[in-house]
Amino acid sequence: MLSRIAESLFWMGRYMERAEDTARLLDVHFHTLLEQSQQTYRLRWDSIIRISGEHERFFRFYHEATPQTVFEFLGFREDNPNSIVGCVTRVRENARTIRDRISRELWEDVNSFYLRVRGFRAESAVEAGPHRFCNEVKFSSHKFRGVADDTLPHDEGWQFLRAGRALERAEKTARIVDVEYHTLLEGPTAHAPDKSDHQWMAVLKSVAAYEVYRREFHATIDPRRVAELLVLNVRHPRSIRFNIAELQASLQAISRAAPGTYATEAERLTGKLNETLLYDRMEDIFDRGLHAFLGDLQRTCRAIGEHIARTYFYYAAA
Amino acid sequence: METQQVAGTSLLDDYEPGSFYDEMFAASGNPRPHYGPFYDELVHMAPSEFEESRRLADLAFLLQGITFTVYNDGLGTERLFPFDLVPRIIPRAEWDRVERGLSQRVIALNLFLQDIYGKQQILKDRRIPRSLVLSCRHFRREMIGFTVPRGIYTHVAGIDLVRDSSTGEFLVLEDNVRTPSGVSYVLENRLVMTRMFPRAFQRQEVLPIDHYPAELCQVLRTLSPRGGDPVIVTLTPGVHNSAYFEHSFLAQQMGVELVESRDLVVENEIVYMKTIRGLTRVDVIYRRVDDEFLDPVVFRPDSLLGVPGLVGAYRAGNVAIANAIGNGVADDKAVYAYLPEIIRYYLGEDPILRNVDTYVCSRPADLAYVLDRTGELVVKAVGESGGYGMLMGPWATKAAIEEFRMRLRADPRNYIAQPVVRLSRVPSYDPASGRIAGRHVDLRPYCLFDGDRVVIIPGGLTRVALKPESMVVNSSQGGGSKDTWVLRGAG
Repeated sequence: MLSRIAESLFWMGRYMERAEDTARLLDVHFHTLLEQSQQTYRLRWDSIIRISGEHERFFRFYHEATPQTVFEFLGFREDNPNSIVGCVTRVRENARTIRDRISRELWEDVNSFYLRVRGFRAESAVEAGPHRFCNEVKFSSHKFRGVADDTLPHDEGWQFLRAGRALERAEKTARIVDVEYHTLLEGPTAHAPDKSDHQWMAVLKSVAAYEVYRREFHATIDPRRVAELLVLNVRHPRSIRFNIAELQASLQAISRAAPGTYATEAERLTGKLNETLLYDRMEDIFDRGLHAFLGDLQRTCRAIGEHIARTYFYYAAA
Repeated sequence: METQQVAGTSLLDDYEPGSFYDEMFAASGNPRPHYGPFYDELVHMAPSEFEESRRLADLAFLLQGITFTVYNDGLGTERLFPFDLVPRIIPRAEWDRVERGLSQRVIALNLFLQDIYGKQQILKDRRIPRSLVLSCRHFRREMIGFTVPRGIYTHVAGIDLVRDSSTGEFLVLEDNVRTPSGVSYVLENRLVMTRMFPRAFQRQEVLPIDHYPAELCQVLRTLSPRGGDPVIVTLTPGVHNSAYFEHSFLAQQMGVELVESRDLVVENEIVYMKTIRGLTRVDVIYRRVDDEFLDPVVFRPDSLLGVPGLVGAYRAGNVAIANAIGNGVADDKAVYAYLPEIIRYYLGEDPILRNVDTYVCSRPADLAYVLDRTGELVVKAVGESGGYGMLMGPWATKAAIEEFRMRLRADPRNYIAQPVVRLSRVPSYDPASGRIAGRHVDLRPYCLFDGDRVVIIPGGLTRVALKPESMVVNSSQGGGSKDTWVLRGAG
């Protein structure tokens, strides 16, 4: 497989996941915050920007994080490469450069998603409430995955697509837990427990974990248990552990290393991280400090991404 | 089967064949026999029904991303290539003659290229002026004395034909033997038509065309320097090229890798592509990149595009390239004027398909005539294509004509001129009136040459000038396309 094609598939996986994650965050928070006080409101939009990793860029364009500015910035702005429209455009550009190598169904699915997203306009979408737009993005992402799984051969190219998605999702969940834990437990609203309950519910909903949480723990929301679910749960498809295991499986399928061995640095780092998530308990992580743990984890994820690129995408001239 | 005519309006109300050769209607006003079944279909179709089919066809092209890129708006916008639902139908007997004429022409073009880059016998025999050939912009001195794999230069040729209204005869308007494009539209148009008019295909047997990618792949396979199971790639300038859709389409249909020059590297005169498992040797390159951008070492030292060392690998016989480098000398518009002579010289036969009369401005008598009648003629720059560098005398402003006269005097070798060919018309849908009206068309058949025989898919790309009265069919000037049917049987 051409390096360029592998690279395109990997980034298609990442950008599609990024678009979906952003849509989920925007949707849930917009609707939860309708019921909150003005003060909380402002601060919460601020943390959404932090989760997106585009805090600096945002304040170059706007003075204040309001539903309108955040929605425009994360949903539509062309000069924000990580906006939903920006991500979908790049999924489509990548798909277009390899359309001969993906199924006709997958290409048409991506192209029509792109055309639908382009049909929305920021002002009217905010006014109408972001739900319609965000829901469209969320379900289009699910559909993308279904079409990819059902029409592509499950070869190494498909593994790159899967690896991109898993890496992106693990990193994004780490950011969500990190930012929210800090804001909700240590921020100015931390001592209004009734309020923060709603906000933890929003966090859970944004990663499709609310119902799971209720079923597993029944009780009222305990932030430590939320963190445990999102970091260590073995079955929840958006937990960090779940996605690092996915990533490891993809990288092994690509490198064809024998079980119990590894062939690349990306595999070594992923395997090591997987061991930690497998054998550490939540109290071990809290003892060492959740913020430090998640910071390390995000740095490791970035290193894994770099090593994948170095091993498979770039050819060093002789 | 007779059916009741839809009450009220019909798509063909007020149809005016005009003074041109109309491919659907004979001079009597009756449909020509080979158009009978489709004519029935049209007459019984309500305009709203037709409009709905048209909308669905456009949507299908949009969703599939079958677009071309326009550059002149500064944004590189993707546009649909307008598709007209009324097919262009050619009877079998007429097509057979066209096919023989095209085969003859492709074989002669290939022999000419072998000769020009070999012994140059035709120049020694003074059948075509040496200075004219050697001064072609696309003549590649570097290729002289190099034997191309299996002696094939023109693996793929797109020969543009027009039907002259005064005689109804197909004439050759120009040859394209560098990287002719458009065949993907031929295949996609057919797919859409079979979905929109299944009944018409049941009533008439239309010759299939979908074997083109397999035939092309077969030609490419025979070129491999290593034999066996060759690694073939399609080389594209990239996603921003106007014909990108076609490049990826053909790669996919042939089941070969689509590469950009950055995916290739040459080491020790062997071409490799960069894969996730290291380098893989490439045997055959179907390139859709112009000569100038193939290899910066040879052609454009200032260019970052291309694969350094590619021509070296080609000359060493380690990789085959299709079409061959330097083919532009054969489709130069001044050389075109000598094609009848070239056919006679190499094949000892008269040309089956005639050329359009052509004045070669490097000949003083021709130049004098053209300067005298610039306003009546079509003047073309010899090395251009796609409707660029052209003057349509009768429609041009005085200033434009004067400007061309100056250019003609300054650089006569760069121009030819032809009388205006009154192109035939095919009924086409006019969205403004919601009716069918006559529109001018040309035809580009696609010819594949494997060294022994020429394979031509029946029909080709019919381009249509969708603007009323316009004779310019280029997509950059409001042209569209039609499906082209060659009917099986005596027709």
